[in-house]
Amino acid sequence: MTAGTSKLISRQKPTRLARITQHLKREWQLYLMLLPTVIWLLVFLYKPMYGLQIAFKDYSVFRGVAGSPWIGFEHFHILFENDQFLRALKNTVIMSAYGLLFGFPIPILLALMFNEVLNQFFKKTAQTIVYLPHFISSVIIAGIVITSFSPSAGIVNTILGWFGVDSIYFLTKPEWFRPIFIGTGIWQEAGFQSIVYLAAIAGVSPTLYESAVVDGANRWQMMWKITIPSIMTTIIIMLIIRIGNILEISFEMIILLYQPATYETADVVNTFIYRQGLQGGQYDFAAAAGLFNAVVAFILVMTANTISKRYSRTSLW
Amino acid sequence: MSNMNLYSRGDKLFVIVNMVLIAIFMLSTLYPFIYIASLSLSTGFEARAGNVVLTPVGFTLEAYKQVLSEPQFWTSYKNTFIYTIFGTLMSLAFIIPGAYALSRPQLYGRRFWNLTVAFTMWFNAGLIPFFLNMRDLGLLDSYFGIIIGFAVNGFNIILLRNFFEAIPQSFEEAARMDGANEFQVLWKVYMPLSKPAIATVALFCIVSRWNGFFWAMVLLQDEDKIPLQVYLRHVIVELSDDEEFANSLLTSAYSFETVSAAIIVCSIIPILLIYPFLQKYFSKGILLGGVKE
Amino acid sequence: MSGVSLQGLVKTYGDIQVVHGIDLEVQEKEFVVLVGPSGCGKSTTLRMIAGLEEISDGDLSIDGRFVNNVAPKDRDVAMVFQNYALYPHLNVAENIAFGLRIRRESKAVIDASIKEVGEILGLTPYLGRRPADLSGGQRQRVAMGRAIVRRPKVFLFDEPLSNLDAKLRTQMRAEIKRLHNRLGVTSIYVTHDQVEAMTLADRIVVMHDGRIEQTGTPMELFLNPVNTFVAGFLGSPPMNMINARIESGDNGPIARFGELSLALVDTPTMRDAIGTDITLGIRPEFVTVSTQADTHGTIPVDVELIETLGSEALIHATLQGEPFIIRAGTVGQMDVLNGISGFSVEPNLIRVFDAKTGMALPDQVMKQ
Repeated sequence: MTAGTSKLISRQKPTRLARITQHLKREWQLYLMLLPTVIWLLVFLYKPMYGLQIAFKDYSVFRGVAGSPWIGFEHFHILFENDQFLRALKNTVIMSAYGLLFGFPIPILLALMFNEVLNQFFKKTAQTIVYLPHFISSVIIAGIVITSFSPSAGIVNTILGWFGVDSIYFLTKPEWFRPIFIGTGIWQEAGFQSIVYLAAIAGVSPTLYESAVVDGANRWQMMWKITIPSIMTTIIIMLIIRIGNILEISFEMIILLYQPATYETADVVNTFIYRQGLQGGQYDFAAAAGLFNAVVAFILVMTANTISKRYSRTSLW
Repeated sequence: MSNMNLYSRGDKLFVIVNMVLIAIFMLSTLYPFIYIASLSLSTGFEARAGNVVLTPVGFTLEAYKQVLSEPQFWTSYKNTFIYTIFGTLMSLAFIIPGAYALSRPQLYGRRFWNLTVAFTMWFNAGLIPFFLNMRDLGLLDSYFGIIIGFAVNGFNIILLRNFFEAIPQSFEEAARMDGANEFQVLWKVYMPLSKPAIATVALFCIVSRWNGFFWAMVLLQDEDKIPLQVYLRHVIVELSDDEEFANSLLTSAYSFETVSAAIIVCSIIPILLIYPFLQKYFSKGILLGGVKE
Repeated sequence: MSGVSLQGLVKTYGDIQVVHGIDLEVQEKEFVVLVGPSGCGKSTTLRMIAGLEEISDGDLSIDGRFVNNVAPKDRDVAMVFQNYALYPHLNVAENIAFGLRIRRESKAVIDASIKEVGEILGLTPYLGRRPADLSGGQRQRVAMGRAIVRRPKVFLFDEPLSNLDAKLRTQMRAEIKRLHNRLGVTSIYVTHDQVEAMTLADRIVVMHDGRIEQTGTPMELFLNPVNTFVAGFLGSPPMNMINARIESGDNGPIARFGELSLALVDTPTMRDAIGTDITLGIRPEFVTVSTQADTHGTIPVDVELIETLGSEALIHATLQGEPFIIRAGTVGQMDVLNGISGFSVEPNLIRVFDAKTGMALPDQVMKQ
C-alpha cells in the first residue's frame, strides 16, 4: 500500500513559533473578540490594583500614584490604633454574623415550604411576590424603611401607638440600627435566596418520594427523611460561602440608613473608608483600610471556595 | 400527587398550615409596597397624622402633581434611561464576544484568560483606588464614565461563557465548514441559540443600571447628570433629616411623606414592567452562573 | 482527481500522541469507511481532514492540493455531524442554504439549490419546518442536504447514524449508499459500527489505538483479517477464537487443543509453523453443524442456548469451557439445531494467527 511514500516527502517538524503563528492566522478573530474585555479589565480593575500602592505612600494628588513617597506601613499602624476603624471592623463582623444567624435559615425554610405547596397557581404567585424585593434598588428600600419607621407618620409608630407606646425615632437609636438593617436584608433577599435550594430540591428524584409513599410515609416524614438530607450538600456549601463572605456587607444600604447618631453600631469598614477617603479626602489612609479589608476578604473567600469545592466533590460519593 | 383525597388527615393539616405560613410571608413582603402606594395617594394631613395603614385616606393625586412638576425629577429620570439603555448595550458589546472567545476550547491560554476574569470577582482594589483611577482617566462627572466604567462584570461573563460552553461544539464546526468566520458563527449561530442567556444577562445589566446609585453619587456632582436613584436619595434620605424642610412641605394636600412615597412609586414602575421577563429568566441565570470556574 | 491523501498524519495533544501517523490514499469517488472502537483516533483523523483539528505532523492533500494550513471552509469539503448540528432557529430551507448565504451566493442560485436538494432527499414538503418539528430520519436528511448543497469535492461523515434507532439506521444506511451512487462524491465515513462499515464501504480502514490495522474491501477484511483484532472486530457475532498448537497429523498439519484437533490446510508455511502456539479463528457462519459428535473430524460442543432470529439461529455453546457461537440457517433445520452436539469446519475456512503476535500466518488467502 502507501506506507513508505510519506517518508520521501516528509517535511520538517513545525517549530513552536511557526505553530503559534499558524494558530493566530487561523484564530485571530477569537483574540480580537476577547481584546475589548481584557483591555477593560486592565484599565478599570487591574490598574486600580496597581494604584493600591498608595496604601504604603504619602499620597498627594499633585505627585500622583507613582510619584508620591513611600512611607511603609505607617497608615496601617495608625489604622490599628484608630478606634473608629476597630469599631467598624467589629461592627462588620457582628452584623454579618447576625445576618447569617437569622438570615441563613429562612431561605431554606421558604424553599421547603414552597416545595410542599400543591396548588401550582398559589406557588407561582407566592414566588413571584417574594422574589420581587431583590430587584428593587437599595435607595427605594431605604426610602420605604425611612418612611415606615418615621416618628411622625410611619406605620410602625402608628401601630405602636395603638398599644400606647410613645413614638420612637428608630433610625437615630443605635440599639435599633442592627435589627432594622438585618431585618430589611432578610425581607429583601430571603425569597430570592430560596431559589438555590428550590433548584436543589427539584433535583431530587421523584422516585424517592414515590417509594416513600408506598412505604407509608407522611409528608412531614418525607421532608425530614428525603428532602432535607438530599439538599444538605447545597446547604453546607452555601453556609461555607456565606461565612467566606463575612466582610462583604451591603454597605450601600448602611450609607443610606445610618447617621452620626448611629455610627456606634452601624459603621462598617466600607462606610468608614467611604467617609475617610471619598468624603474626607484621606485617600492613602482609606486605601490602606481598603487593602486590609480586601486581602482578608480574599483569603476568606478563597478558603471557603476551596473547602466547598472539596466538600462538594467528596460528598458526591 | 395532586389528589388531596389520597392524603391522610395529618397531611392535609400540614399542607394547610404550610399554605397559611407562606401567605403570611407573602403578605409581609407585599405590605410595605401597598403601604407606600397608599401613602402616596393620601392627603398630607392624614399621612402626617399617621392615619394611613392599608388604603389611601382622603384620596388625592397632589403628591404626584408635586413630583411631576419638579424639573429635576424629569432630568434624573431621563438620565437613568440613558445610563440604563447605553450602559446595557455597552455591557453586551463587551460581554458577548468576550464570553464567546472564553468558551472556545481552541483559545490558547484559555485557563489564564478565564482566571483573569474570575480573579476580579474575588479581589478588587476597593473604593479609593477605583475612584482615583476614574478621576485620573478624566471620567468624573461624565455620562461616558458611568456607561463605560461599569460595563464589564465577571459574573455576567462567566454566566454567558457557561451557556456558550454548553452548546455542542459541532454547531461552531458546522458553521465554520460552511464558510462562516468567528464573527458570523457568533452572530448567526451562537447568539440566536443563546437568546435566553443573553436576555438574562441583559436583564441583570438593566436592573443593576436602573438601581445603581453608589458610584453615580460618588462620581457625579453635576445635577444635570445624576440618575434617578441619586435624586431619590437626595430627597428621601437627606431631606428626611431636615425637620424644617419637611414641615415647610406640609400642606393639607401633600406632605413630605406623601411626596417621598410618590417618587418611590414612580421609580419602581419601570422595574415592575420588566419584572415578568426578569422572572422568566433569572432563576435559570442564577443557576448557570453558579457553576463557577 | 478529487482524492484525499494522508501521509504520516499525526495528532498530539500536549505530550500525548493520539494518532500515530496515518497513511491513506482515498481515490476519487471512493467510499472509504474508518472503523474502530471508540478512542481509536478515527474521529480525530476525520477532523484533521475537515480542518477542525490542527495537524501536528504529516501531510494532507485534497484533490492534489496540500491543505494542512488551509481553513476548513477553503478545503471544499462538507461534513455531516453525529448530532447533525442543525440550527434550531432556522427552518429546513434556511439550514440547507446557510453555507450558500455565508458565501453570498445569489438568491436565484440559493433557491434553485434548495429546490434541487429538497427533491433529491425528499424534503420538499418539510422545507418550512424547524428542526424541532422533524423526525430523526428527516433531521438526518437535512444534515446531508446541508452537505450536498455546496457540491463539495469530499463528503465527511462523523458517525451520522448513531443517534437513530435500529430500523431507521438500516433505512438511512441504504439511502446514503444510494446517494453516493447517484452523486459519486468521494466520501470518508467514520463509524464504530462494523455493520455500517461492511454495508457502506468500497474500502474499510480498521483503526485501533491511533494506528491503521488493515485496509481493504469489506470482503477482504471479513475473509482475510491480518490479525486477531480485525478478526474480532468485523463480523457479528465475532469470530470464535481457540488457543491451539500446530502439530503434525496423519495427513498434514493439524491444530491441537486439549484432546481435540482440527485439520489445517496443508501448505509449506503451515508445515514450517509446526510447533507454534496459535489462535484459531473460526467464523460462526463457517461451521457445519452435526448431531453426531463422535463422527471423525467433528468437534463436540455443549449447547447452552439457542437464540432463534427467524431465518437464522445463534447457537451459544461451550467448547472446552470457552464460549463458542455458531450461526446456522433454521429453515427445515430446527430438528437438527435442537440436537446439535458438535460441528465440523473445512480447513480452508479456518484462519490461523500466531498466538504471540496476533498476526495471521502468511499465505492464507480465502477467496470470496
